[in-house]
Amino acid sequence: MKVIAVYPDRCTGCKTCELYCAAERGSNSKSLLKAVREEPSPMPRVRVEGTNELSVALQCRQCRQAPCLDSCLTGALRRDDQSGIVVVQENRCIGCWTCTLFCPYGVIYPWPERKIALKCDRCLYMEIPVCVDVCPTQALELVDLAEYDTVLQAKRASVLETIRRAGDRQGALILE
Amino acid sequence: MGCVIIGAGAAGMQAALACRKNWPDSQVTVVDSEPEVGYYRTLIPQFINRALTEDRLFFWQQKQDRELDVRAGVSVDAVDRANRTLFLSDNQRLPYRRLIIASGGQPIVPPICRTPAVRGIFPVRNLTVARRARTWLRTNPDTVILGGGLVGVKLAAHLAEFNYPVTLIERERQLLPQALSAEAAGVVAAHLQDKGVRLFLAATVDDLQISGGLLEAVRVDARWIPCRTLFVAAGSLPDLDFLAGSGLVTEGRLEVTTSLQTGDSAIFAAGDVATIVDGDRFTPWTWPQAVVQGKLAAANLYAGAPLSLPRLTRVNAMNLNGLSLAILGLPACGYDRTVHADSGSTIYRELFHRDGRIVGGVLIGDISSAGRLHHMMTGGAVSLAEMEEYIIPRRKAMTAASLSLGKYRKKATWLGPGGG
Repeated sequence: MKVIAVYPDRCTGCKTCELYCAAERGSNSKSLLKAVREEPSPMPRVRVEGTNELSVALQCRQCRQAPCLDSCLTGALRRDDQSGIVVVQENRCIGCWTCTLFCPYGVIYPWPERKIALKCDRCLYMEIPVCVDVCPTQALELVDLAEYDTVLQAKRASVLETIRRAGDRQGALILE
Repeated sequence: MGCVIIGAGAAGMQAALACRKNWPDSQVTVVDSEPEVGYYRTLIPQFINRALTEDRLFFWQQKQDRELDVRAGVSVDAVDRANRTLFLSDNQRLPYRRLIIASGGQPIVPPICRTPAVRGIFPVRNLTVARRARTWLRTNPDTVILGGGLVGVKLAAHLAEFNYPVTLIERERQLLPQALSAEAAGVVAAHLQDKGVRLFLAATVDDLQISGGLLEAVRVDARWIPCRTLFVAAGSLPDLDFLAGSGLVTEGRLEVTTSLQTGDSAIFAAGDVATIVDGDRFTPWTWPQAVVQGKLAAANLYAGAPLSLPRLTRVNAMNLNGLSLAILGLPACGYDRTVHADSGSTIYRELFHRDGRIVGGVLIGDISSAGRLHHMMTGGAVSLAEMEEYIIPRRKAMTAASLSLGKYRKKATWLGPGGG
């Protein structure tokens, strides 16, 4: 399963991802200049939060135990079996906003003008999600969860290294 | 002999599907007194006003899993715990190894409305009655709804959307007395009146005028209101009648642990029927809780180390004919209150908290940050500054400006950190 990894240390808060997500996924025209004139205004599925000191672009985490799936009153939210991505079936969504309330990250958005809930579907049928594609600092990356194990392994290796450096000192070892 | 589930509502059906998945070797039987199962009860108002067709209501059909034994239209008469057997209304006996009780609730029908010979009175709970009401409304649009709780308010909003003449009657001095503070309820009441709903608060129906078996009018506060249709939405009680003599019910409650286990190790309960004892007694009466509980009961059936419910909240959200409403929890007396209200608009947001813990609140008109606030509520303590930041609607935190884009001028907004 592929998910979007977020690196807060690389994010400059420029909101390029928001703009392109709204234009590419939310507009009829699919062009930035025309999208800003559309009514209702196209909505992004990724939001940049924070200040100049610390900012982060956040979109749906595709939780394996997704609270939104349990809360959906109409069956509009569904997990795509093949990709594991949680999608909103717009024809079944009635805009009751229950899922927006249950999302712990606040990344399902009410779209009152269209009376549906909006969330990231990781640009399921595109080669690469548009936010990942346009991010100028690579603060967003598409990673395969299976490959993520190598990252975890590197972390475990660093634990080993810490223990080695501690040498033959006795007692409990607290890792930071 | 495997697992038997009583009730095929949200909790029962989720339990059945989870059982099939978690314990594929165990046979699963579902018994429900309704002729149809596997539909979204929460969509009944939209079905009655014809916004939705019937096929949109169903989330499960028998053809999806032929192995799942669903006995619809059959009710349980009694439970014999000693022999682990159910007595069914079709005179059959059904043995079980594990039992999940998810029989849900029964609508409370005030004595004045219990006149079976009169046509035009409909308790709002199940699809069979909803279908009759839907057809009936076509020729009898004048409607009175008795009960201003969640079901009554929702039904009123949806009927008003399609221009039915609606009168809503609530016994208490405010709408949604079990979910909102008086101020918040005032915002909802004003919105409903704006949409054309007639409201009678601190009032009840004390007489009916009947002519030729048809309802003609109801009397409220000594005043006769002509109506051909009366919806009864005066709340529900757990459906526990069949458990009489089983020893599972104490003072009218079927109490379970946070692992959803009853006093009998082979019997679990989930959804509206169960009262969870976790220091306090807790019955959520919401769809999301029923789904989560159904799944958990199934997971715990044969588990050596049963899991506990991750959270006990009565969170609910709805869209009342254009007014978004997200209820985080009941108004609590003696707690601190943080409020954001926009005068002249329908935006009203409030939180109840004590010692940095959010215990309830409501977001009306603008429900931005609802997810974050719910999460803060179930997590640990938060600072007052953080609460005050999130109580401001995110749109409020935008700075409006005029942007020149060549020949196009458009009002642009930026989301600023904590702006006002």
